[in-house]
Amino acid sequence: MAEKIIYFAGCFANYYDPEIGKALIEVMERNGIEVLVPEQKCCGMPMMANSNVKGAAKNFNYNVKSLARAASPGYDIITTCPSCNLMLRKEGLPFFDSEEASFVSSHVYDAGEYLLRLHNQSRLDTHFRETPLKVFYHNPCHLKVQNITKEPVALLKLIPGLEVSGVNTSCCGMGGSYGMKKDNYALSVEIARKVWEEVKSTEEDRVVTECGGCNLQIEAGTGIRGVHPIILLNEAYRSSEASEAA
Amino acid sequence: MGKERPKEVVAEIPSILVLEPAAEQRKRRAAGVEVRKEFQPDLESIKTHLKEIRHHSRDNHSVLLEELQRSLGQYAGLKLAIASDVKQAASYIKEIAGGTDLASINKSNVVINEIRPELEASGFKTYIRYFTEFKNIDKFERKVEDYWALPGLHERGLVESFDIAKTVTQLNSSEVRDYLAILGVNAISAEDGFAFFLQHMSNISKDLQQARKIVLVVSLEKVVQDREAASFQTRSMGIFGLESVLLDLGPKEIEGYDFESLPILAGGQDRELHVLILDNGRGGLVSGGYQDLFLCIDCRACARQCPIGLHLVKKGWVYSPKNYLFGFLQGWLPPTEACFHCGRCQVECPVDIDIPTLIWRAQLEHYVRHGRTWKKRLLDNPELLAKLGSLTAPLSNWAKDNSLLKPIMETLVGLHRKAQLPAFHRQTLRKLIKGGSRG
Repeated sequence: MAEKIIYFAGCFANYYDPEIGKALIEVMERNGIEVLVPEQKCCGMPMMANSNVKGAAKNFNYNVKSLARAASPGYDIITTCPSCNLMLRKEGLPFFDSEEASFVSSHVYDAGEYLLRLHNQSRLDTHFRETPLKVFYHNPCHLKVQNITKEPVALLKLIPGLEVSGVNTSCCGMGGSYGMKKDNYALSVEIARKVWEEVKSTEEDRVVTECGGCNLQIEAGTGIRGVHPIILLNEAYRSSEASEAA
Repeated sequence: MGKERPKEVVAEIPSILVLEPAAEQRKRRAAGVEVRKEFQPDLESIKTHLKEIRHHSRDNHSVLLEELQRSLGQYAGLKLAIASDVKQAASYIKEIAGGTDLASINKSNVVINEIRPELEASGFKTYIRYFTEFKNIDKFERKVEDYWALPGLHERGLVESFDIAKTVTQLNSSEVRDYLAILGVNAISAEDGFAFFLQHMSNISKDLQQARKIVLVVSLEKVVQDREAASFQTRSMGIFGLESVLLDLGPKEIEGYDFESLPILAGGQDRELHVLILDNGRGGLVSGGYQDLFLCIDCRACARQCPIGLHLVKKGWVYSPKNYLFGFLQGWLPPTEACFHCGRCQVECPVDIDIPTLIWRAQLEHYVRHGRTWKKRLLDNPELLAKLGSLTAPLSNWAKDNSLLKPIMETLVGLHRKAQLPAFHRQTLRKLIKGGSRG
């Protein structure tokens, strides 16, 4: 495989839901793209949120050095976590700017954004298996603020039979670990009610969102476990492979 | 500024211009704000011009202030005062009040958030007259329930237009009542002192007509180059703030003072117009790393996007993420801990203020100076917790879900006992991919 990308997995895909990372690797490999995973630490945003400036600076600087070195041949950097993406693309720069940080910022893409770009260049393998599924998509704030709202839906719609019958762009109120804290829990739940009601009132088969925190919040209020879109894409590729083998 | 003074004869007072939604819209505005589908200005070009006006104000604020003082000094029927903080402002208002302790205030950030608490502490009774305007609407139906129920007017190209509805050029009136009107202006022209208001109801017009003493409050950032800029800025506030206006529509009992019932003063010719220029920390913004807050026109477009706003507005102040941050910088609000950095406030700002970054900055600077609580420290390295959790899974997963341990975690670490915590995987992604690294 000649083409390569650099994957920044983030804490969620590494410690809590490795299936997301596995799916990303498999989807990329299906498209002839090799995935490199250089050394990395937490993106630093949770540290910023707890006002740990030194910790955030240390992690951010470590990451941008590692990522910039790995991506120096001109590879793009892909994330599956919206918050890591925002941290690397925008939030870290005003505080921890460096040559490497600017390089990383200009090379980082959300996985869905990147795959849709491949599709627009007619380079995405679209041999997905027919997947009769109605999905409800929740757009996380950290993608919305980067104007990545339509891309995930457009990507999901490439799967034949899959219908995105509901899209929600409200904030879920989780904000990383914010909504888990005793001091914020009540406010977080109050904000989440709008999303919960919408999810409960839908008759979709699956709830889809990129953000691990949003997923936890949706599950807490509805009992429905959401799924990252990259996993759905990979499932559609896998069933396509199984069908071809049969 | 090097500009020539306007050739016209200087009047007793500078003109006060009140802008309202265009006439045909006002007709349809009995119980809410309507929008015209056919009116679709180029929002991007409006933003571009607005940014030019705001950048000019920010970068020349000292010069503009001097020019405004010179301009206002030419009007014999006007009294000018400058207050460096709200204590000075309230003290001035008390001094000129002439015995009355009754004040009508408009829905202005600076008046409600900054001056009002100080006035109330000085014994004034203040009422936001805007809200009493709903008294004649028998069945007000509040159609907008929360921030998320808004119709997304901009996305659909639906915006209001605003025309000059009233121009006050002299103080004579036969409607004068004994109270103060304390009105925060939307913009004021440094060149000639013309002041501009945006009005959705009729409270400002009435106050300009009826109050015995009028105090126009000019917060520093409202001073713009000239009349055209002031008018444009005021219209822009209407256009970009429309959705936030919708959110506030509705009567509020607490503000229900009936100024109309006050007796009309005989004679009524001894009216006074004061212009009170207020700094209150604004000058310091320009040199303190928060200079972009000076660009704000208080349209509150950012408020529409803020998920915590709906909950903070209950506390009786004009909420916007910018006001939340500025209130902290001014010292009347605690650190912006309720913000969880969703970043949405930047999305619709017409002048592109990066409020998320400024809120980060304020929080980080505060805790560098004052230190962090041990609970903050415990949770400030989630990766370390995740590593420990993964190494000890499934024991860690049992512990995090254990109903006996949850209250202990709540007390010790500050995690709410009902919080949904993620499950740890012993096989992390790095272990799953051969060698832990593929780079």
